[in-house]
Amino acid sequence: MKDPFVIVWTLLIFASIFWYGFLVFYVGNKAGKEILQMTKTLGESKEAEKKPPA
Amino acid sequence: MTLAPIDWIIIVVYLASCLGAGLWMRKFVRGVEDFAVAGRELNVNLGIASLAATELGLVTIMYTGQLGYEKGFAGAAIGVLMWAVIWIIGRTGFVIGPLRTAGVMTIPELFEKRFSARVRWLAGLFVVLGGLLNMGIFLRLGGEFLVYATGMPPGWLEWVMTGLLGLVLVYTALGGMLSVLVTDYLQFLLMGVGIVITSILVIMHLGWGNLIDGLNTAWAAGAASSGTPRAHPFNPFHSSSFGWGYLLWQFVFQIAAASTWQTQISRVLAAKDAATAKSMYRKTSFYYVGRFLLPGLWGAAAFVWFSQHGGLPEGLTTLTAMPQYLSIVLPIGLIGLVVAAMLAAEMSTDSGYMLTWATVIYNDLITPCLRKPLAPQSQLLLTRGLVLGIAVFLLFYGLWYQVPGNAWDYLAVTGNIYLASVFTLLVAGLYWPRANAVGAGAALVLGAIGPIVFLVLGKTYNIAPEIAGASSFALAAVGMVAGSLLTRPPVRAGADSPSPSLSSP
Repeated sequence: MKDPFVIVWTLLIFASIFWYGFLVFYVGNKAGKEILQMTKTLGESKEAEKKPPA
Repeated sequence: MTLAPIDWIIIVVYLASCLGAGLWMRKFVRGVEDFAVAGRELNVNLGIASLAATELGLVTIMYTGQLGYEKGFAGAAIGVLMWAVIWIIGRTGFVIGPLRTAGVMTIPELFEKRFSARVRWLAGLFVVLGGLLNMGIFLRLGGEFLVYATGMPPGWLEWVMTGLLGLVLVYTALGGMLSVLVTDYLQFLLMGVGIVITSILVIMHLGWGNLIDGLNTAWAAGAASSGTPRAHPFNPFHSSSFGWGYLLWQFVFQIAAASTWQTQISRVLAAKDAATAKSMYRKTSFYYVGRFLLPGLWGAAAFVWFSQHGGLPEGLTTLTAMPQYLSIVLPIGLIGLVVAAMLAAEMSTDSGYMLTWATVIYNDLITPCLRKPLAPQSQLLLTRGLVLGIAVFLLFYGLWYQVPGNAWDYLAVTGNIYLASVFTLLVAGLYWPRANAVGAGAALVLGAIGPIVFLVLGKTYNIAPEIAGASSFALAAVGMVAGSLLTRPPVRAGADSPSPSLSSP
């Protein structure tokens, strides 16, 4: 394990496993909320288009 | 078959959820802008999920696994380069900032504003040609993973992939980018879980010390033998691995890919604004290390496992060794989750790519040729028809084409057909006021020569992929500079303006 390349790859592999696990929860939670917001915005603009002009 | 009923239940539930979510988004599609760029309502985190899901397909897992098998961890050096490049682009906004500000739906659309309608059309043709050829091998490589990981009879490959593509086609053609975003989100979650679990199980199965020792032993044995030595498993700069020349070419290639590849750029164009797009890039950048390194870890582990158990069994190749190894490692119950995750990877990539190329064909090849604009409903119908056409192309081209050399080189070279020239046009168009339509046309044609020659004659004359790739960048740049300087400068929007205006009204 003295080879610097081995040390770098080892760190990167374990960091990647951690990062993927973290993103699933972090981005998963935030992106889920963004989908709800996006559908709400799109739904509202669709409703606004349907209404006849006053 | 290595799948148990519980595995099948997981897979069916996943597929049904994707289809349901994709179809649900259909009701929000009002026109081509919603269909192609999700009404430009994309925010940072959903952008990260979508970008990550699209850019990590089953095809990615196969070729990065193959790189891991052949080159050990050093095979993931390209992922590290991508991390650096994407972070720098996200930090500086190089190309993506002004591109999003221009308010276009596709890259070629920008070329009409900056150069001419003819350049837009020609660029659209190259984008589609390079993109479709690139996507052509996705289905077969994805299918091979499923055959070897699940123990499915090889004769089922075509039918399974046809069914999978049919499913993706339904929600992509109906809901466009909106469906793609929501299904990408589900796929991102499942893929993340599947990749983490698989990586941990692989490390536990082989043992970290055994894996490192196995790679070192194989390297030492190969170096001592008189035959062809194995690539250095840890040092990517070593002459037996990628070497400096190839990595340098990859650095340039990744700058071009991250700022030009239409499937990636479509998320930039769907973003709320330039700042959102830049943030999306920065936050996704490290994901690219794992994209290469984790499947590469599985490939390297497959190499060590088979080396310690009598060598690669007959019928297996460096491409199919990794999924075969996973079928040994993954227990019943978990294999269903991992297969569903891999299906997710395949589906998110297929949907994103089909939508992107259909949008370019509609927006840049067909629309400029129409004498009068189509009605909104006809525009939608046409774009949906194009998604269907691409799916049919994929089925036929994708299931009979044989990859020359390794899969990564094929993908890099076909992508290069448009990357080199379109990247040159983008950079010159955005940052060099003297660039004109003649230079752009010359760059497009000259930039495509290298990769096309490699595709046709590469095997016969043993042309190195980095030579084909680097020459296409050089030729495109020469075409742009010579063509622009030898002809009249472009007409400026105003006396004080440094270059023709690109901002959207």
